[in-house]
Amino acid sequence: MPSDFAPSASPVVARLIDAFRKLPGVGPKSAQRLTYYMIRMPREEAQELADAVIAIKDRIVLCEICQNISEQSPCEICSNERRDQTRICIVGEPLDALAIERTRAYFGLYHVLHGVISPVNGIGADDLKLKELLERLRDGTVTELILATNPNLEGEATAMYIQRLISPLGISVTRLARGLSAGADLEYADDTTLTQALQGRSEVESGTP
Amino acid sequence: MTSEKPRIYSAEGVVLRHHNLGEADRIVTLLTPGRGILRAVAKGARKPNSKLGGQLDLIRRVSVSARTGRTLDSISQAETIESYPRLKMDLELMSKAFYLCELTEKFAVEDAPAARVYRMLIDGLSQLEKTKVPDLMIHWYEMRLLHLNGSQPQIQRCVDCGNDLEQEDHVFSAMRGGIACPSCRPSGSDTMLPASVATIKLLRFLQRAGQNEIERLRVAEDDRRQVERILREHIHFATDRTVRSASFVDEVRSQGKRVSG
Ligand SMILES: [Zn+2]
Ligand SMILES: [Zn+2]
Repeated sequence: MPSDFAPSASPVVARLIDAFRKLPGVGPKSAQRLTYYMIRMPREEAQELADAVIAIKDRIVLCEICQNISEQSPCEICSNERRDQTRICIVGEPLDALAIERTRAYFGLYHVLHGVISPVNGIGADDLKLKELLERLRDGTVTELILATNPNLEGEATAMYIQRLISPLGISVTRLARGLSAGADLEYADDTTLTQALQGRSEVESGTP
Repeated sequence: MTSEKPRIYSAEGVVLRHHNLGEADRIVTLLTPGRGILRAVAKGARKPNSKLGGQLDLIRRVSVSARTGRTLDSISQAETIESYPRLKMDLELMSKAFYLCELTEKFAVEDAPAARVYRMLIDGLSQLEKTKVPDLMIHWYEMRLLHLNGSQPQIQRCVDCGNDLEQEDHVFSAMRGGIACPSCRPSGSDTMLPASVATIKLLRFLQRAGQNEIERLRVAEDDRRQVERILREHIHFATDRTVRSASFVDEVRSQGKRVSG
């Protein structure tokens, strides 16, 4: 998409502006500001930035077990034998796992779904890393699943779907306690709130048929 | 036009969809009686201390205060009128509520009053909370919306020869918008769906039945599935849009069957 707001910018400049505009949360103005900032940046700093971008593309992989992003597979958490192997905390995005990890109140494993069920956007259960989850539950080591999807309707739909999917396996399923403010993103919750939510998690009733 | 001062206004609506914007904002799409589809930004809605986020979650009836903006209006306050708790405790009902909302959205447009469509939606959501026959209620609702929109399927006479339908199996042509006799199946690249006698009867019943009458209805699942396919195909043709939540309805239904064995 050509840059329509800076017609006089040279093609090289316009190219970077357009690249920034593709980033989440970056509008035309910020894209322009970032670009002009970089024009004045020392070459080494620019090189460092470019290298860092390429490095995440080259070196970051999905952990074959928990599907989290990592530099190695299995990731550090999955290969750490001191972590509680009987618990898996299910989150929507890698950032949510990071937020929970920051609390230092959880010592089990994770599973990253890479999304949540979003019916109006055509994202269904098939688009989430659920087959990989079921695979992990087969050998019976895991006895508790903690559903830590965002406290909003799509997060709730995802949690309920997983709860139904798991119910024949007889594994205990818990949901992060209410304390989390409804509608807010998990990744923004402060450590204290998140710790309390983890400690106060409650068993999900297997009410549905 | 851009020199106009921002105006504060209030509106009522049902939250149909939302997506993230920037660091912690959210763009919310509401169906409102006065303005039809209303898209507005809720600043900071994803932050934990924000009251907006919880109020502006999907499938909630809310009243909002907003101010006009150059590109998007922005919502400064939101209060829940109805949160439909029963629809959110059961996955089957929740999937149907998603479908109902998205379907209704396809029959409204941006910046044009939609009082009747809005009334249908809030009545529909309340009814879905109470009904004993959620699947049939959805089909009845689909028929009502199509009626409101003037795009009901032709289920009285053959869309091709115009004759009354005989007591036999027929086909449904979405392209022609109705039932055709087997002998004069309209030609072309159109997909024909089977329409048994029982299916046609059910379609006709849904078209004339009142809200309470459908509660007493008991139908064979196969016939209902045929009606479901026909109505979805017809809606797809009539609105030229795809209701994506339909596949979630199916996903949940088939999961429910597997779980209950
Ligand atoms: Zn891992
Ligand atoms: Zn005919």
